[in-house]
Amino acid sequence: MPVADPHWTRSLRFRLLAATLIAVAVALVLVGLLMAGLFRDHVMRQFSQGLTAQLDQVTARLEFDASGQPQIDPQALTDPRWSRPYSGLYWQVDGANNEQQRGALRSRSLWDATLILPGDMLADGVVHVHEVDGPDGAHLLLVERTITRDELQATPWRLIVAGDLRETVSAVARFNGILAASLAALLVLLCAAALAQVAIGLAPLRALQRRLTLVRAGTAQRLDGSFPQEVQPLIDDFNAVLDRNAEVVARARTQAGNLAHAIKTPLAAMSQAAAVALQRPQASADLATLVEEQVGVARRHVDWHLTRARAAAAQGLPGARVALQPVMSGLLRVMERVHADRRIDLQCAPMAAELAFAGEVQDLQEILGNLLDNACKWARHEIHVSAAPIESAGGARLRIVIDDDGPGIEPDRRDTVMARGARLDESVPGSGLGLAIVNELVGLYGGSVRLAAAPTGGLQVEVELPRG
Amino acid sequence: MRVLLVEDDPTLRAQLRAGLQEAGYAVDEADNGRDGHHLGATESFDAVILDLGLPVLDGISVLKRWREAGQTLPVLILTARDSWHEKVAGIDAGADDYLAKPFHMEELLARLRALIRRAQGLASPLLQCGALALDTRSGRVTLNGQPVNLTSHEYRLLSYLMHRPGSVVSRTELTEHLYAQDFDRDSNTIEVFIGRLRRKLPPETIETVRGLGYRLAAPL
Repeated sequence: MPVADPHWTRSLRFRLLAATLIAVAVALVLVGLLMAGLFRDHVMRQFSQGLTAQLDQVTARLEFDASGQPQIDPQALTDPRWSRPYSGLYWQVDGANNEQQRGALRSRSLWDATLILPGDMLADGVVHVHEVDGPDGAHLLLVERTITRDELQATPWRLIVAGDLRETVSAVARFNGILAASLAALLVLLCAAALAQVAIGLAPLRALQRRLTLVRAGTAQRLDGSFPQEVQPLIDDFNAVLDRNAEVVARARTQAGNLAHAIKTPLAAMSQAAAVALQRPQASADLATLVEEQVGVARRHVDWHLTRARAAAAQGLPGARVALQPVMSGLLRVMERVHADRRIDLQCAPMAAELAFAGEVQDLQEILGNLLDNACKWARHEIHVSAAPIESAGGARLRIVIDDDGPGIEPDRRDTVMARGARLDESVPGSGLGLAIVNELVGLYGGSVRLAAAPTGGLQVEVELPRG
Repeated sequence: MRVLLVEDDPTLRAQLRAGLQEAGYAVDEADNGRDGHHLGATESFDAVILDLGLPVLDGISVLKRWREAGQTLPVLILTARDSWHEKVAGIDAGADDYLAKPFHMEELLARLRALIRRAQGLASPLLQCGALALDTRSGRVTLNGQPVNLTSHEYRLLSYLMHRPGSVVSRTELTEHLYAQDFDRDSNTIEVFIGRLRRKLPPETIETVRGLGYRLAAPL
């Protein structure tokens, strides 16, 4: 009994769930990252815009005294945060090219700290954004603008406004936390839904399994009940196989019974003759003749019923198909060996590689084997074999023609020769069943056998069989 | 001629042995596939009669192993399985002929003779060497058309030599092929029979090749 492969890829449920889980997890992670990113961007931009507005205000309030030094009137900047130490909002004016002039003017909120800027390509009027460290361990967002007075050789000044990012950062963190929690909850929900989906989806397969167990236990002969349309064709085919098996078993039983009955007669005859011979030893020659004869009879019965049983077993199997060329070659090889001494020229016309018989290989071999054997037994010098596809009222068929150059069979005896047990010439060895078996097998497949005169003067046998 | 008989049914085996010995063959036997294979692979036989349904190792496997090892000894399959499907399988496995049970002893003997003859490349059942002719079917020997009277031993010896016309056959080979394994192999027996044959045949028909053996003189 094959054991279910424990390897994880073999479980349908696991495959479905793993695929769903991975897909959902990946999607949610991507969504989460995107949303967090967007939010942070938005918040930072808002903050930056706010700072820029403040920078504009400072710029507007900037004046230069007589010596060219910048001046700002503290009363003019009304926001209370400018005055409160470490309030989180700072302004500063730096001399652009002069380190000593860093922090030339600073807001009160900076108290004793100075904002240190990274070097930058100065462009007149354009606002640059930086992130720097600030007083009290704060992390600041900084906007700056470089301005120059309208005179030649005037020193450029950098105007700076910076804001504490602390609250912004914590807002973003809070958002991320809520987002992660929500997405996690969503993940759990979706997985639960997938589990339910898989359970509901695969439920018919479990039902199928239960039905199959019943069939195997012998309680049921078929798989009953209706199944989803994807699985129903499989169920129907399986039931067809079960039905056919039952038929095959019934037929085999019948054939075995028929054979047993048929054999009993020769056995009885031999037993009777043996009893007589025991009493009258001088009659033992008669016994020998009778045994010989009855063995022949028994053998014919065995051959007949065996062939019928084998052929009956093959009946109706869908999709049975066997290529003709290799079967023909195999049989011709046997003929060459078995009839080697007769030195018959076995000629076989080439046939298409895809030419195939719609049936079982053993039946085809039995049909062609018997016909070729007969042809070889009777032929004088040569036999010709050919096969071709044809279309007929019965559908796609093969026509196989075997010609020998032997004595042939007269037209009026051609029918009798097909009958079971009929033999025209006792001098040639054989059980006499060959043509009868061929006739029977060909009939079971709905084909036909025709005897005629061969162009070489002997017998022509033309067989038509269903083509696969 | 020496034949290996591989058949597991004791009654049939005894019948076959008797029939073969009566026809002048030296017979060695095996009742299962493994022993049969071993005998066929290690001893030299002129032909093998092989049943297919054997215990230990089945007939087809025995045959395939012989053929794979490059052994060309002629094999006649004797079996109850006579569907064409099985005949093709048997021939393709390397059998030289196929006979279904039940069979007539005469047919078996005729096929065996033909098999041995064909294995030597002799196409006709009538073997000839100059004026000497041997009909393998009837077992009759004629010289210039006149019958020659030979004992069964003399016939077997002459038949073996005529199956290998023009080849040198050693005394050992003759002993191995004319007598079964358990025969007391005294090589002098062969010389005695060669001498007797020579007296009945024209001179120089059987040549002695010094140190190698005997040769049937090919016709000039």
